[in-house]
Amino acid sequence: MTTTLQNRDLAAVMARLDAMDARLSAIVARQEKTDELFAEMTPILRDVMATATAKLDGLEKKGWFAFGRELAGVAERVVEGFDPREVHELGDAVVSILRTVRALTQPRVLEVAADASEVIENGENAAPLGLIGMVRATSDEDVQKGMAVIMEIMRHVGRAAKAVQAERGARDPMAARKEKLAAALGPRRKRSEAPPATVGKAPVAAACGGVSRGADEPLVDPKAWTKEAAAEIAASLGVPLDGARWAVIDFARSEFETTGTSPNIRRLTQGTKLATKDIYALFPKAPARTVARIAGIPKPAGCI
Amino acid sequence: MDTAKRKVAIICSKGGLDEAYPALILANAARQSGIEAVLFFTFWGLDVITTSKVDHLHVNLAGNASSGMPTIVAGLPGMESLAASMMKKQMAELDLPSVREMLQILEESGAELYACELAMKMFKRTKDDLLPIVRDVITAGDFYDLSEGAQIIFT
Repeated sequence: MTTTLQNRDLAAVMARLDAMDARLSAIVARQEKTDELFAEMTPILRDVMATATAKLDGLEKKGWFAFGRELAGVAERVVEGFDPREVHELGDAVVSILRTVRALTQPRVLEVAADASEVIENGENAAPLGLIGMVRATSDEDVQKGMAVIMEIMRHVGRAAKAVQAERGARDPMAARKEKLAAALGPRRKRSEAPPATVGKAPVAAACGGVSRGADEPLVDPKAWTKEAAAEIAASLGVPLDGARWAVIDFARSEFETTGTSPNIRRLTQGTKLATKDIYALFPKAPARTVARIAGIPKPAGCI
Repeated sequence: MDTAKRKVAIICSKGGLDEAYPALILANAARQSGIEAVLFFTFWGLDVITTSKVDHLHVNLAGNASSGMPTIVAGLPGMESLAASMMKKQMAELDLPSVREMLQILEESGAELYACELAMKMFKRTKDDLLPIVRDVITAGDFYDLSEGAQIIFT
């Protein structure tokens, strides 16, 4: 039992060894073949390497590597200088740029450009042209045609500029908001319309029962005016009220009561028989307005 | 409204009746608003403060599109005087003082009136030819000294 088992085992081992031998010899054979291949390839590879090196050397000499390095540098700068959206837009634009270049390099267009540059090259032969010469030149048929073409180009440039403007306007997110805000706030107030921030005047108006509506508006209601209120306003304006000044104030009030308008300085001089000089002496700063304020009547209208 | 430091300097360079008034009215309005006013009369503006001319300022109709009169008619002799007298009549109806009166009012209100030295030489005028309300004959540089801190208006 043991022997048979041993025999069977032995046979199995032997068979395995046989198989291994076969595999081994195959490996050896392949190894040999590879060696042969190397031996054969080495000269060829050497040749290839030499050629490749020479070619690379040539490229280097032609500046391709420098160009490549520069290109990488350009790409880097583009990445640094533009955000992704802009680069994307640039990509879109490249198509139209190329289209433009193609259009510009059409033979007929190039011919025109060549003609034009020839004219510029021979520019020294052209006689100077004044305004009258320019007008005369417009009678030339070719000049007329050229002007028409340039006008057409200008029309397109103008249209494009308008489109850009519209796009910018649409892109500004603050513009719409500003408009809305302006509509909500109403027309802008002028600085001069702002109510006076004077401390001394407001209590006077309050004491007189009048309403302060601005520096040039009467401080008190014309109907609620009293001599005491006038004295208070005059004091706040730094104007001492004596007989001569009271005469002017009284005239201004009676004028307003009879005509419904506040007297200007001309009416004051006519009504009080005082000279302009005297009125200015009594009320040095803005006389007619000062008188109107003390008299509690609206500021005089008109230029004179 | 703080007018304490406000000042205007008005240059009057034209001598037409219609051209003199704006400067005078602006100066007068400034004084009435408590604003200091300096007036500088130069070139044809000198006529406005010249004693012999102040009452005879004319309205120039030719070349004035607003006059409503064709230039060929406006250029006829006597048209300027006619237009000037018509304008004076209208101004009187509005109780607008004459130029002479306006100048007097300005002087009394404390406005300062000056004549241009170079223009005086050009038109061969002396200070005696001018209205007595003119304070002095000054140069353009003097004008700038006087108008320091002022708003300058050219008419």
